[in-house]
Amino acid sequence: MAKFLIEAVPERCTGCLRCQLACSQRYTKAFNPSAARIKVVLKGAGCEVSFSAECTGCGICVENCFYDALLKRPGKVKS
Amino acid sequence: MTRGGFAGRVLSVDLTNRFIETAPLDLVMAEHFGGGLGLCIKLAYDRLDPTCDAFSDENTIVLGAGPLVGTSLPATSRVYGVTRFPGSSRIGWCGGGGMVFGCLLKNAGYDHIIIKGGSDVPVYLKILDDDIEILDAASLWGKGISETYEQLMDKIGRPAGVISIGQAGENQVSFSMAYIDRISTLGRGGFGAVMGSKNLKAIVVKGTKGIHVADARAYKALSGAILKKIRAYPYLKEWQDLGLLKSLPVVPPDVYHELKLRRIACVSCPIGDKDLIRIAGEGSEEVICSSSAVNLFMPLVYGFKDPLDAARCIAMLDDYGLDMFEFFGVMAFAGELQDRGIIPLEGKEDKIDITSLSSMKEWARKISLRNGLGRIFADGFRGMFSQFGPEAKKLAPSTIKGMLTYIGPRGPMPWNLFGTMELGQVLDPRGPHVGSSGSPTYFAKRELDVFPQHLRRMGIPEDAVGRILPGLGTPSQGLKIGRLLKYSHQWFTILGSLGICARAQINRFYDAGLCAKLYEAVTGIKTDLDALRLRSDRAWTLLCMANVRAGYTRKDDILPEKWFQDPAFKNYLTGRPLSPDDVERMMDDYYDEQGWDVKTGIPTQERLKELGL
Repeated sequence: MAKFLIEAVPERCTGCLRCQLACSQRYTKAFNPSAARIKVVLKGAGCEVSFSAECTGCGICVENCFYDALLKRPGKVKS
Repeated sequence: MTRGGFAGRVLSVDLTNRFIETAPLDLVMAEHFGGGLGLCIKLAYDRLDPTCDAFSDENTIVLGAGPLVGTSLPATSRVYGVTRFPGSSRIGWCGGGGMVFGCLLKNAGYDHIIIKGGSDVPVYLKILDDDIEILDAASLWGKGISETYEQLMDKIGRPAGVISIGQAGENQVSFSMAYIDRISTLGRGGFGAVMGSKNLKAIVVKGTKGIHVADARAYKALSGAILKKIRAYPYLKEWQDLGLLKSLPVVPPDVYHELKLRRIACVSCPIGDKDLIRIAGEGSEEVICSSSAVNLFMPLVYGFKDPLDAARCIAMLDDYGLDMFEFFGVMAFAGELQDRGIIPLEGKEDKIDITSLSSMKEWARKISLRNGLGRIFADGFRGMFSQFGPEAKKLAPSTIKGMLTYIGPRGPMPWNLFGTMELGQVLDPRGPHVGSSGSPTYFAKRELDVFPQHLRRMGIPEDAVGRILPGLGTPSQGLKIGRLLKYSHQWFTILGSLGICARAQINRFYDAGLCAKLYEAVTGIKTDLDALRLRSDRAWTLLCMANVRAGYTRKDDILPEKWFQDPAFKNYLTGRPLSPDDVERMMDDYYDEQGWDVKTGIPTQERLKELGL
């Protein structure tokens, strides 16, 4: 059940992957960045944050970000 | 309870015979040595020929990441290595912020990599879960750290973890390092050169297997409490903004903010301290990264005037894979020998000026490629002492085990109070390094009455607190630096074996009792504080034994004379200048507290028995 719209602020992201670790642990019971529903890719000066179709908007990635690079907004994720 | 934390396998690679083997991790041994750093020491001790040369095929590299690496616990990304270092000739540890490398190594299913032998052509090691290959590195050889990283990313795809060397490592410069994910430094003292001597340009890893924890409920409760503590830390945002510049303001914040593009963090770190910087020039723009903003501007300490030139200089040294401290130490020494005519000036372009970017560019290139006099400088202080003789040696800065002591009254980090990090430069087996020797003396002139709370956080037993702080609260109160250093090494080894960053601004969120609980929750191995301390002492003592076996004892702990000449190191408490005898007494205390023989520095049979060694 989608709870939030999740807004990424890529310029604040440090690539620490805590969002991916928390997401994968919730949904696969293992810390596995490759299985996360959120993906962060740092390349050169840029940063891309994307969400897979399976993202439920549960917000665990937001709760685990130390850098305010992910924010919860009212609304539901598009499926 | 199931086992967790450990990926469960050890990867062995024989570069001579191109043989790759995976074996299950010996969980009894893992428990005995904790994991991570502790297990790296054990695996290296069992495999390293104590008589081997650092650059021989007999030298072995052991890399590894502890059981907490790859979990979401804050700042648990550390990667450690153990090998014989060319800079000091000692068997030592090295470690770095693991960026994504440690996490992805564990996700590929490996806790440790053991590399032995040497390839006859340049190669790199590719690890994609169970798909492991030794591949040709002809297209990478001769390339700097950044290009090597980008080429590997193009081949394998992001995200991937990379440990690689630059041209300095390829040419076995004794002060070359390896770099983790092109940013984090690994192995002051020539770890890069050891990889280069094996023709190993890089290790690249991706993994998809996942890391489990044994007790998810306990993990959730413990990690939640740490998270709460971090979020409540009043200086969190300031540390996130400035990184190490907060404690070492080499440049004003506005200079830094002008250049800063992005802060980069190791996996799970709340205070990422790696930097992406933009330097705009005339019609050009460079984007560079660095292991910390303080490093980027360190050339200002050596006399550079322009912060942008300082950053350009460090970016260049990083790309070659050169250790900044040793490079500038060697260059300053060479400049003095040149001024005195001991080193001939071959041409105008050879003039050494450590305040000039163009001069440093030229010499970094010559050293990294071993061109001209760079061939001699590439062997560091030892090579220069041997080439230019005892008269030249008298002019050298303070060295220990052939390497620069970078913290001291005359050092690049001008620090004159003698605490555990200063003494640690003599007593860390690897050579003059301060990373293993943190304690409350990290901060100058701390009042002694705040020490007990910090010592207890480090897990120091009450009886030892009394020995470290005799007469606390009385007019004759004292501070025994040597005894405290024993526990700095213990605390460092606990953190390193679990995989937690040892930096003061990070480990403040942890205490040794919490570490024991986390270890148990993640691995499922019953662990209390006593067990954690025992495993740590066992590993550090074994590192000492590795060097004893190679012929090194207390007789080789030689203090630099210049530490005691004006301006001399000063007593941490009283501010009085120290004498060599004062420091020898601290070393007596250190060995006594370790349970090692005070005269020889060799662990006693009784102590070895207590530790189960």
